[in-house]
Amino acid sequence: MRTYIIRRLLQIVPTILMITLVVFVMMRSIPGDPVVALLGDAYNEEDAIKVRAEYGLDKPVLVQYGIWLGKLAQGDWGTSILSGRPVLKDVMIRLPVTLELIVLSMAVALAIAIPAAIIGALRQNTWADYSATSIAMIGVSIPEFFAGVLLLLIFSVGLRGTLPSSGWVYLPGTCPMIVCTGSLWGNMMHVLMPAVALGIGRAALLTRLLRASMLEVIRTEYVTTARAKGLSERPVVLKHALKNALIPTITVMGLQVGFLIGGAIVVETLFAMPGLGTFGIDAIIARDYQQVQGFALITAVAFVVINLLVDLTYTFLDPRIRYA
Amino acid sequence: MADDREARAAQPRIISGGSLQEAELGAAPDVAWRAKAERAESPFAQGVRRLRRSTTALIGAAIVAVLLAVALFADVIAPRSPIASDQTHTFERPSRDYPLGTDQLGRDMLSRIIHGSRISLAVGVSSVLLALFLGVPLGMIAGYYGGRADSLIMRAMDLILAFPIYLLAIILMVIFAPTAGLIGTMKVTGAIAIVRIPIYARLVRGSVLSIKEKEYIEACRALGVRDPWILLRHVLPNCLAPIIVTTTLGIATSIIVEATLSFLGLGTQPPTPSWGWDLKANVAFIQSNPWISLFPGIAIFVTVLGFNLFGDGLRDALDPRLK
Repeated sequence: MRTYIIRRLLQIVPTILMITLVVFVMMRSIPGDPVVALLGDAYNEEDAIKVRAEYGLDKPVLVQYGIWLGKLAQGDWGTSILSGRPVLKDVMIRLPVTLELIVLSMAVALAIAIPAAIIGALRQNTWADYSATSIAMIGVSIPEFFAGVLLLLIFSVGLRGTLPSSGWVYLPGTCPMIVCTGSLWGNMMHVLMPAVALGIGRAALLTRLLRASMLEVIRTEYVTTARAKGLSERPVVLKHALKNALIPTITVMGLQVGFLIGGAIVVETLFAMPGLGTFGIDAIIARDYQQVQGFALITAVAFVVINLLVDLTYTFLDPRIRYA
Repeated sequence: MADDREARAAQPRIISGGSLQEAELGAAPDVAWRAKAERAESPFAQGVRRLRRSTTALIGAAIVAVLLAVALFADVIAPRSPIASDQTHTFERPSRDYPLGTDQLGRDMLSRIIHGSRISLAVGVSSVLLALFLGVPLGMIAGYYGGRADSLIMRAMDLILAFPIYLLAIILMVIFAPTAGLIGTMKVTGAIAIVRIPIYARLVRGSVLSIKEKEYIEACRALGVRDPWILLRHVLPNCLAPIIVTTTLGIATSIIVEATLSFLGLGTQPPTPSWGWDLKANVAFIQSNPWISLFPGIAIFVTVLGFNLFGDGLRDALDPRLK
């Protein structure tokens, strides 16, 4: 098991190198560069050449990538040309916001989906099942930003100002500035709508997947056996059926990470949250090379690490699956 | 990442796709073939018959048909111009003159939504078709010939799949530089198609791998039938069912991706009416004029729902797992 994890972690390295290299080359193939934006109205060719030389932008792209990698190996994620701030610092300030959003949205999704799927599967073709599947069908068809707008309409416009429509209050301890106070209550008020907006689609998808695989599992012989030997319904459903039904579901949810990252960008934009999503999209649009690299790196790492975690969950859900 | 793929391959029911809906293909409940009498029919006829019995598929098909009509005849149906602004009628509430109200430039929301259907449907359908026309041949070649062609093609597909899809789509749109009108729409179509090619390539490769071992393919080879003919006439028709289902559900996903790109300001640019862009532009006024951000959202939702319902019904009718 340990050797398996180490081997997988080593295999992650080429994937991350590949993603960051492709992003690096792609960003630099866009016409225009951040120097134009940096100099603004004062732009002239001489200064631009000087600034490009200062940031190493005059070198061939692959050389620049090599330099970036070399610095990265020493823990230096580079400095934004536009803001002059170290990229790693900005990423670390914004990471907790996005992590909180994603973790809570997954919690919302699981809290809705697991009961809904169990009810749907156990009471197949009853009104409870039909309502669960119909609501799930509606849920998978709502894009995150529209879910967010609906929540805004209900809680910020309808129930005037019950929940704040934008901005952020940091959790105590994650506050990046010296003069700001974190507050658990304020944080919860701000994260609630974004987390639900991001969670609804996942909940609907999870319900559909889990219901379908629960339906298969409860018809298997080991579930009949468990019932026949007199086990009460609860352990039969939770331990025998649910755990096995979760395996294909978890796989698909792992493949969904790419969509979750997109969802986070959208939801953070809609609710004006200072997370990694808004950081990334702003950096890409402003062509802030160093920040884009930082964003690509952190997303690539998150992406592959979550996929690894998904594979490792299998051993918990089904001990027959072993990795050597 | 080889082990990664193997671990997933060990999960028999998973078709790895990137999207919400396609991902579910694998977990579809079994639909048993019906009574013996039907066996005499062609599989296609059976599929059509089961499709017609499915209420959800019919509702989905109806929604899609209405949307297609709206998009085709937008010029006739729309009461006003979608882009002509009228400064004397900004932020009108829904009324008889303006059934869905007007936006901050006094443009008629109903007309904008009617014309916006063109972008959503055009991008949704053509990006999937483009991905299909590139992905299916790649998958067939990889699966049929194997060897070096296979590893070359599939490594390229893995490269695309290694990206979180929105990261790639967003950067592609920045490279293409979003613009208005037809060219702008084609750029979005291209960006979405690129990120979705691997889904079809992998799907088709998987089917081809099993089909090429069948006796009838061997018989064709023994008869001296040439490879392109075998691929087109004998291999392709046998992997059509999963392709059709994935395509329908893929349109729903592509429409969401298009709306999301527009929402982020990276889709087709104004003045071309686009639902995602309208939603984004109108959210700024959500406190004072809540209705105008609601309508584009509903339009996106209904469209996606239509394709999802239709795709679901198709999947049950054609059940790809029986292949």
